[in-house]
Amino acid sequence: MMKFLNLSVAALILAGGVYLYAEDEHEEHEHRSSSVVAKPMTPQEKSTVALYQKECGSCHMAYQPQFLPKRSWDKTMNTLENHFGTDATLDPSDHKTIQNYLATHASKNDRTSDMKGAVALRISETPYFVREHREVTKKMVTQPEVKSFANCNACHTQASSGSYREREIRIPNYGRWED
Amino acid sequence: MKYLAIVTMFSMSLMAASPEVLQYMNDLSKTAKAENSAFNGFDAARGKEIFTSTHTGKQGKPMACTSCHTLNLANPGKNSLTGKVIEPLSPRANPQRLTSTKEVNKWLKRNFMDVYAREGSAQEKGDVLTYIMKN
Repeated sequence: MMKFLNLSVAALILAGGVYLYAEDEHEEHEHRSSSVVAKPMTPQEKSTVALYQKECGSCHMAYQPQFLPKRSWDKTMNTLENHFGTDATLDPSDHKTIQNYLATHASKNDRTSDMKGAVALRISETPYFVREHREVTKKMVTQPEVKSFANCNACHTQASSGSYREREIRIPNYGRWED
Repeated sequence: MKYLAIVTMFSMSLMAASPEVLQYMNDLSKTAKAENSAFNGFDAARGKEIFTSTHTGKQGKPMACTSCHTLNLANPGKNSLTGKVIEPLSPRANPQRLTSTKEVNKWLKRNFMDVYAREGSAQEKGDVLTYIMKN
């Protein structure tokens, strides 16, 4: 049973299912809406996810595409030669595969809608992110164990597998997050 | 000549890189020779200088390869911007290194841009790869 559960969790994660809503009161609703059985990925989809995780995950966490709308990802992919100060260029074929993957799995409800027309490059700039992290102090974020808001998995212990539940939060040197 | 070829093959087998990457270095060597007739093979000492010296990087700040990879290539490094751990660069410590031309090409381009704010020449690339192979 446990094994089956693990497999189905893995399938959901691989399918790009992300628990974006960290607030516990949302979780029950989230569980219901995500209880739809995920379609198994084709070998090609699996290799695309693996490529995304390898290429984008070598310098930072491979953020789930659902955190930004397509126009944000397009802007990111079109400026890789200066990606937050570093050269992150890809070979043309990998570039195309990853850009398509991001476009397909991007957020459909635009989390950047009230940015007065600006296109967010950082997930941490989006109004949703800002709201969710409004009570997090600067010291918690800038401490060496975290460094910046870019390191989701410094506190969200299951972030790399796509889960951001509140009960999984452990802030280094502070511990659990109590709302 | 045959003897030389065997010696070359033998010494290459001692080197910590895949045949694919050795072929890539061979191509770099031809380009280096074409660009500079005085070129007389790659040199790990020049590679070390490229790897350890500090330059004004892409961000206009002092930067060296060692800023992330550290001076000891057998140890893991750390991305200086994100803090993410970088697996050791030394092929002896990390057998995955120098096995894919595609990867080698990608990172040489990116990292020369980050540290030197320009691409490396064929000779520079070969020198730095030779240095990495010996560590």
